[in-house]
Amino acid sequence: MSAQVNKTMAEKESILAKPAVQSIIASLLCIVVGLFIGYIALLLINAEGATEAIITIIKNYFTYPSKAAALKYCGNTLVKAAPLLMCALSIQFCYQAGLFNIGAAGQYVAGAGASLFCALKLGMPWYLCLVAALIAGGLFGVAVGFLKAYLNVNEVISGIMLNWIGLYTVNMILSSVKESASPYTVSLEKTNAAAVLPSLGLQKLFSNNKYVTIAIPLAVIIAILIKVVLSMTVFGYEIKATGIAKDAAKYSGMKEKRNIILTLFIGGALAGIGAAFLFLTGYEQWSVTQSSVPGMGFNGIAATFLGGLDPIGTIFASYFIQHITSGGSYLDKNVYPSQISDFISAIIIYLCGFVLFFKFFLNSRIKNKKNNAEGGNK
Amino acid sequence: MEETKVADNSEYAIEMLGITKRFPGIIANDNVTIQLKKGEIHALLGENGAGKSTLMSVLFGLYQAEEGVIKKDGKEVQINNPNDANDLGIGMVHQHFKLVQCFSVLDNIILGVETVKNGLLQKDVARKKITELSEKYGLKVDPDAKIEDITVGMQQRTEILKMLYRDNEILIFDEPTAVLTPAEIDELMQIMKNLAKEGKSILFISHKLAEIMSVADRCSVLRRGKYIGTVNISETNQEELSRMMIGRDVQLVATKEDKTPGNVILHVENMTVPSKLHHNNAVKNVSFDVREGEIVCIAGIDGNGQTELVYGLSGLENITSGKIELSGKDITHASIRERSTSGMSHIPEDRHKHGLVLDYSLAYNLVLQRYFEPEFSSKAGFLKKGEIKKYADKLIEQYDIRSSQGADTISRSMSGGNQQKAIIAREIDKDPNLLIAVQPTRGLDVGAIEYIHRQLIARRDEGHAVLLVSLELEEVMSISDRILVMYEGELVGEFDPKTTTPEELGLYMAGAKRKEVGA
Amino acid sequence: MVLLLQYTLLFASVLILVALGGCFSEHSGVINLGLEGIMVMGALGGALTLKYINSSLPSLLIVLAVLVVSIVCGVVYSMLLAFACINFKADQTLVGTALNLLAAAAATVIAKTINIAEDPNNVSSTVQYVAAKKALVVNIGKFQFNWFMLVAFIALVCAYVVLYKTRFGLRLMACGEHPQAADSVGINVYKMRWAGVLISGMLAGVGGIVYITAGVSEWKFENGVAGFGFLALAVMIFGQWKPINIGLAALLFGFFRALSNVYSGFDFLAALNIPGSVYNMMPYIISLIVLAFTSANSRAPKAEGIPYDKGSR
Repeated sequence: MSAQVNKTMAEKESILAKPAVQSIIASLLCIVVGLFIGYIALLLINAEGATEAIITIIKNYFTYPSKAAALKYCGNTLVKAAPLLMCALSIQFCYQAGLFNIGAAGQYVAGAGASLFCALKLGMPWYLCLVAALIAGGLFGVAVGFLKAYLNVNEVISGIMLNWIGLYTVNMILSSVKESASPYTVSLEKTNAAAVLPSLGLQKLFSNNKYVTIAIPLAVIIAILIKVVLSMTVFGYEIKATGIAKDAAKYSGMKEKRNIILTLFIGGALAGIGAAFLFLTGYEQWSVTQSSVPGMGFNGIAATFLGGLDPIGTIFASYFIQHITSGGSYLDKNVYPSQISDFISAIIIYLCGFVLFFKFFLNSRIKNKKNNAEGGNK
Repeated sequence: MEETKVADNSEYAIEMLGITKRFPGIIANDNVTIQLKKGEIHALLGENGAGKSTLMSVLFGLYQAEEGVIKKDGKEVQINNPNDANDLGIGMVHQHFKLVQCFSVLDNIILGVETVKNGLLQKDVARKKITELSEKYGLKVDPDAKIEDITVGMQQRTEILKMLYRDNEILIFDEPTAVLTPAEIDELMQIMKNLAKEGKSILFISHKLAEIMSVADRCSVLRRGKYIGTVNISETNQEELSRMMIGRDVQLVATKEDKTPGNVILHVENMTVPSKLHHNNAVKNVSFDVREGEIVCIAGIDGNGQTELVYGLSGLENITSGKIELSGKDITHASIRERSTSGMSHIPEDRHKHGLVLDYSLAYNLVLQRYFEPEFSSKAGFLKKGEIKKYADKLIEQYDIRSSQGADTISRSMSGGNQQKAIIAREIDKDPNLLIAVQPTRGLDVGAIEYIHRQLIARRDEGHAVLLVSLELEEVMSISDRILVMYEGELVGEFDPKTTTPEELGLYMAGAKRKEVGA
Repeated sequence: MVLLLQYTLLFASVLILVALGGCFSEHSGVINLGLEGIMVMGALGGALTLKYINSSLPSLLIVLAVLVVSIVCGVVYSMLLAFACINFKADQTLVGTALNLLAAAAATVIAKTINIAEDPNNVSSTVQYVAAKKALVVNIGKFQFNWFMLVAFIALVCAYVVLYKTRFGLRLMACGEHPQAADSVGINVYKMRWAGVLISGMLAGVGGIVYITAGVSEWKFENGVAGFGFLALAVMIFGQWKPINIGLAALLFGFFRALSNVYSGFDFLAALNIPGSVYNMMPYIISLIVLAFTSANSRAPKAEGIPYDKGSR
């Protein structure tokens, strides 16, 4: 009897000892605590409607009673989740090489500027616009990488500086394609329909939501590709080694500087494509007077850490972050600020800082129990 | 008053009685007893891993012992943290100095016990006391010099002054001679004797028998966590101490057959390597050869340019002038990878920093120098995980690398000896023309040391070249075919181990003598 | 010209305060990338004080009240960083970033909530403080002296004395350079690091309110503080973690930031017809260039960024 109990307990513990399981538990905890703190904030703002408000955030498009409308707005959430996923992958890929790519926000801006400029000013088709975004984002990444590899500049600070430089540059460049009456760039669909990403019939799945394009499945495919590159290739072996043991990587003859720059190029390209995935759907227009860097790149940080630094986990995490961000926009604006969703995301990032400690705590408890059990058996 | 009287009656300054400290799966100290008499120099002898540092951690309150008591002046005391130990007048010179590099000597000494007036530091008071102390005990230092600018010997004197400044009565020296020149060692021995004469009680942790014989009054021996015994130095000899430490007679002098060296494998001409830490050159205009079938050893005190010499050879650091040839091929400007694939293997000095990706599995680490070869990766750039696993299993078997989960073990969780074995397996299995081994036995127990020596000699016997960098004279004398002594970045002497003596090498290592060396 | 000088000194004051904050935190061994967020929180506290305080009070009292509230906000907020990074050994980059995002979101939420409470149709995140702001400045001829310039100067002198002349400074720097050494002589590394982070919170909090009151009488909190916390970090690196050098570096950066405010007032600059965006970019471009030249041989505190673990020696 007791032997059997021991056995099931041991099984339970061995499941708990698995890194993937621990990551999932940690992420779920972060979400629950993050939502709870968000709920408290809502209570403080206005206790009466707080419960309804938090449910609204969590429900997002499910607040629509008709299935068709829900599907349509589900499409909208997915349209924005795709670029978020790309930004998250950008940050994650660099993080594996030991680089904190906070410059993803600026690389995203660069991608937006390049794709819109090529589409609206130069009249290029969508695939060329995508390539332009890739290159622009990549070059912004390379700048950070070069400064890091050859001049030892902290990538976080240079990344932030480039975010602002990128924002003002793109504002300047896109001024040439803005509507005369508003600060927004001209409509993509009307100016150059060939630059709109193809839908391949996907929009039919979402009640003819015209913004649903191949961007969504492409982002998921890219996430899987990143997973493959990281875990199965020589390049992944090298960048992970560089990330966790820089000196050992150098000792074994890996080209550290080249890898840093290449990693940031890929990271930048991912963020740049992410921007094209949004702006080439026509869902949003760029405002050339905006004075703050778009939050997409920063939300990517939340998604990547919430996803347990795993590309597959990040797919779900990106969706979740976008889900609550979109949910925030359904709040009654005259009672609750929609930024409560950003607040919850930020809390979740903060909580992710404790994940390592949590895993360490879990592992040492499992170890202790194991030792005690072994000691008892002797 | 009553208390001081009791204290004065005790013969012992500090006693650790029946200390037992267990860690999961291991008993680090098993009923260990050490009694330090007032005014004596008491050696604590044991191999790496014998439990010396655990015992000291217990004394300093970093660990709490499960059993046993600590007594100060005959009275039982409770030590819960390093501050308690400080309050009891116990001070320690750590093996790795605890000095802030960019602070002055004075700042380091007063740190933690500063004198202040109106909130401002009163450095003049401290300077006066330091000057007095350094004169009294013959500890020459410049209080205003920065630590990063002074010699290791002076840094050690700063550490000693730190204890004296705090009026510590019980002084612990943890392997203090490892980083010193022979002349500095003599000086330290003299300082220790002076301190004992002034009534300080000294615990001297070491595994060097000759030093213990020359300075200690008594010696306690630990082996694998167990207390073996305490002997009076005047009534014992090195052989007995050695037996107590290791538990059997060991032939530390490795046996190897005579062999005539063949062709030149490594040819170094006028090599100069800059220093990372300072603005001068760490290796100055060095020339030498290593040939097939010989073990050439670079001997010297730590920090005389050996590290940079190897960095220059392996490509971790760019050389500023000179020429390096490997098997007749010019590799002066070759990348690290090119050197490795041209037949150079390198067992690095710091196995945690350079030798292993600690968070990778053992299998991944075993292919760290070869993962890009067609055997382990496809043309498309994918790793052949099956092949890597198979290869790792082969090396694990062949080199007897022990770990909890075989090839899948995360390297960080392995013991130091097995980590080193993994590196050696990886580097030797590449079948290099030249094997560079830097302090390959550091921090390992006797069994592992013997194993590594056998591997190096086997390479030589198979007709390959081996370049060994070692700080241990005993190792240098026993396994090398030729000895090159390095001092302040230069090669100052070449010797045949059969015709030289450790004493003679010591003179060259300390810079007292030199002769021309060149290939 | 006077205007340029005035803005240069004002922005330099912000940079001095925040960079010194970073300096204290890093000397204790914690990289504080959350300075930007701490600035926002300090700014919010200060702005709300200005908004609600009776503007007929003596100006000294108003300045003091704003100062105290900004300090309290900054210090309390920086506790989040200290708690996670020192006690729970969290990744300092990650937590710093989280604090920046959290501050921007929280400040927006708070500002909007207040505005909505006053008028349900006002959903902006702007806080106005026109009336009381006058208390912060004294007109000396054409030059508008701001009390915070004095505060920054005093902070600079104090920082120098504290770091190099006191027991606290010696111990603080020991914790950032070699925490094991500090621990071995009985210094509580955790406590010193907490102190370093809290001081950075105090200084960055003040820096935040100085920044948002420089030249304007209302602030839209959705905009945060436009990367100024990071510019301050660049100033700190350029100043090599030394207070006096930081003061000089701050003047240089302050000058370029001031240019973007007043360039249109100079005929020859206006004649060049360079877009405003270029001037806006200037401080960031300058800081990138400066970092490129100074980072390679930087003398950052050796143990910064590495969580201290008592167990590992």
